Amino acid sequence: MADTTGHLPGGAAAAPSARNLTGAWIILLLAVAPQLIEILIALAGLIVQTSGRTPSQVLSAHGAALVQAIPTLARQAAGEGRTALSSDVLLAVIYTYPLLAVALFTWLVRIRAPQDYYGGIALMAIALFALWASSDLQGMRGFSFGPGTAPRMLGVLLLGLGAVVAATGVIADGAEIAPYHWRGPLFVTLAILTFAVAIRPLGLVVAGLASFLISALGTSETRWGETLVVGIALTIGCALLFPYVLGLPMPLFPRFLVP
Amino acid sequence: MLELFANLAHGFAVAISPINLMLCLIGALVGTLVGVLPGIGTIATVAMLLPITFGLPPVGALIMLAGIYYGAQYGGSTTSILVNIPGEATSVVTTLDGFQMAKQGRAGPALSIAAIGSFVAGCAATVLIAVLGAPLTSIALAFGPAEYFSLMVLGLIFAVVLAKGSVLKAIAMIALGLLLSMVGSDIETGASRMAFNIPELADGLGFATVAMGVFGFAEIIRNLDAGAEGDRELVQQKITGLMPTRKDLIESAPAIFRGTVLGSILGILPGGGAVIASFAAYTFEKKIARDPSRFGRGAIAGVAAPESANNAAAQTSFIPLLTLGIPPNAVMALMVGAMTIHGIVPGPQVMQKQPDLVWGMIASMWIGNLMLIIINLPLVGIWVRLLRVPYRLMFPSIVVFCAIGIYSINNAPVDVILAGAFGLFGYWLIKHDFEPAPLLLGMVLGPLMEENLRRALLISRGDWSVFLTRPLSASLLAVAAVLLVLAVLPTLRRKRDEVFVES
Repeated sequence: MADTTGHLPGGAAAAPSARNLTGAWIILLLAVAPQLIEILIALAGLIVQTSGRTPSQVLSAHGAALVQAIPTLARQAAGEGRTALSSDVLLAVIYTYPLLAVALFTWLVRIRAPQDYYGGIALMAIALFALWASSDLQGMRGFSFGPGTAPRMLGVLLLGLGAVVAATGVIADGAEIAPYHWRGPLFVTLAILTFAVAIRPLGLVVAGLASFLISALGTSETRWGETLVVGIALTIGCALLFPYVLGLPMPLFPRFLVP
Repeated sequence: MLELFANLAHGFAVAISPINLMLCLIGALVGTLVGVLPGIGTIATVAMLLPITFGLPPVGALIMLAGIYYGAQYGGSTTSILVNIPGEATSVVTTLDGFQMAKQGRAGPALSIAAIGSFVAGCAATVLIAVLGAPLTSIALAFGPAEYFSLMVLGLIFAVVLAKGSVLKAIAMIALGLLLSMVGSDIETGASRMAFNIPELADGLGFATVAMGVFGFAEIIRNLDAGAEGDRELVQQKITGLMPTRKDLIESAPAIFRGTVLGSILGILPGGGAVIASFAAYTFEKKIARDPSRFGRGAIAGVAAPESANNAAAQTSFIPLLTLGIPPNAVMALMVGAMTIHGIVPGPQVMQKQPDLVWGMIASMWIGNLMLIIINLPLVGIWVRLLRVPYRLMFPSIVVFCAIGIYSINNAPVDVILAGAFGLFGYWLIKHDFEPAPLLLGMVLGPLMEENLRRALLISRGDWSVFLTRPLSASLLAVAAVLLVLAVLPTLRRKRDEVFVES
């Protein structure tokens, strides 16, 4: 439905500019998302004890990388010694800075088709991230492809396509972003996560029933009596179907109950 | 010709064995059962039921999967006719006249014509696969890596041209799919690519995982947006009189024939044949009808043609898979996944090395279609009752079932989390009007394309002109280029949009 359902009225300049600021903030957040996620993982690592960088190390490394990236690049551009850039600096250069520029652009420009514009920007972000992720891979060796050649080619292609999609959102009028709802996505995702976390230690019966009940929270129309009955029936059915009828081995009951 | 009959006879001998018959029956029934559930399309159905075939021998597993596939498709048309909800994209046009017929109390004839049309188309397509299989396999042997690469480019372009909505966005989705397919080990060097030291990513993103995410979970989340009980207009009257009248039969016979021909041709082309086949067949019927205004008001030809076409296309889409080893659409890609799990590499060699498998599957398609017509029509009442199950109970069940299914593929909780993440991503794609189907096709063809591209360039010593100097490859690319230009041209774009607007 890429038709012109979302015509902006000609004079309404105030509303779009307010939305643009939100859009710019979201893109800003997206620009530092990998760094934030790594910090979160490092924080989680404090609890579960994994090998890897501590949160403070991550914070200082990325902070330094974001600051150093520009001078390092400038030195390289001036031809002074080609030192290998660290992965953190590369992330800043390849991913974060371009997206910061995009955020600034978003703030300044009038967006006529938000659906296309933000869709294109997100594709660009994915492409930039892929370019960073494949930056440590070897490229062409003579005339044969290295492992990094194809990902980089596609990364550039997707970057270009994303930019063109975003550009159409600036040039031509188009659809608004369809409204998002939080209830369905939140609880369905939570249910899936619960299942993934619980299946190994707690087994199919507990994990299945728990995720059934959690996902039932995804709509306000749930009636708990019938949901409980159906949930229990389905769990029993699956507990018979998968391990016994289909012969797919999986734990049924919590580990601490099984001798 | 004699060889053909010998092959088919051999196939029937395999397919008719009690155990395979049984598996075919179960597959078709379970496929219909899941396909009837609103919001679960063919791809999600096959992905969801893939794990239940793991324990079977290869031939049985593929026969059952094929049964699930056309069962699901049949289930989709049932809901189109009875509740005006197309189970999947291929039966969208069936809602136009099918639901009108149901409202007029003629649901029975509509359902049986859909089944009869599908059966006739299935018969024709089975013969076509048998006839074309061997010659195409010998062509396949003449294909070098350059030709393979160009053929896949053509297939992807087809997918773009035939997808609805923006051409640009469809191409972007393909590029994203190709990029996602690169995650994991490099085929030649074994270097780990974009896997972030996560062991579960070392083998790449599972195709079934992504399919389940963007087609299963995303669809559930999207349906919840409208509230669990959307406007489902159930046909309340009892369905009486399944048999179509003589007039119905006379009216729909030519439509079935035309639909079958159109569907068979479009199905062979890589790039989502069944969807476009049903649209094309419906539009064609409407164009040549003496009284086009009857369409949309319960014309039986408007049910017969698209249903025959999508079934014919669904079956002939096995041709590129079995002969060239190229999955032309996402369902066939799941088939490749199933074959790989059983240690079979699809391609020209399969036909020679494993005649049991190939011909058994072809014969079982015919049997499966026959089963659908015999078993499902009497069971229509049950399917309708299934539709009355409220969505608030259905969706948690689907979530749990999908989660267990994904987990059972590799016994990996990470896969379940990934599918959930792709579910959210799929929801985002829907909100921004991106089509997930081209993404999946890109993901499927990605490894094959990269491998053949690298091999072609290695053979030509880095000379990119090899794709243009080899005649076969050059003509494939030329066709792709022409198609792409046509798709972007404004006049044709308008026509193309018209076709889709009619839904």
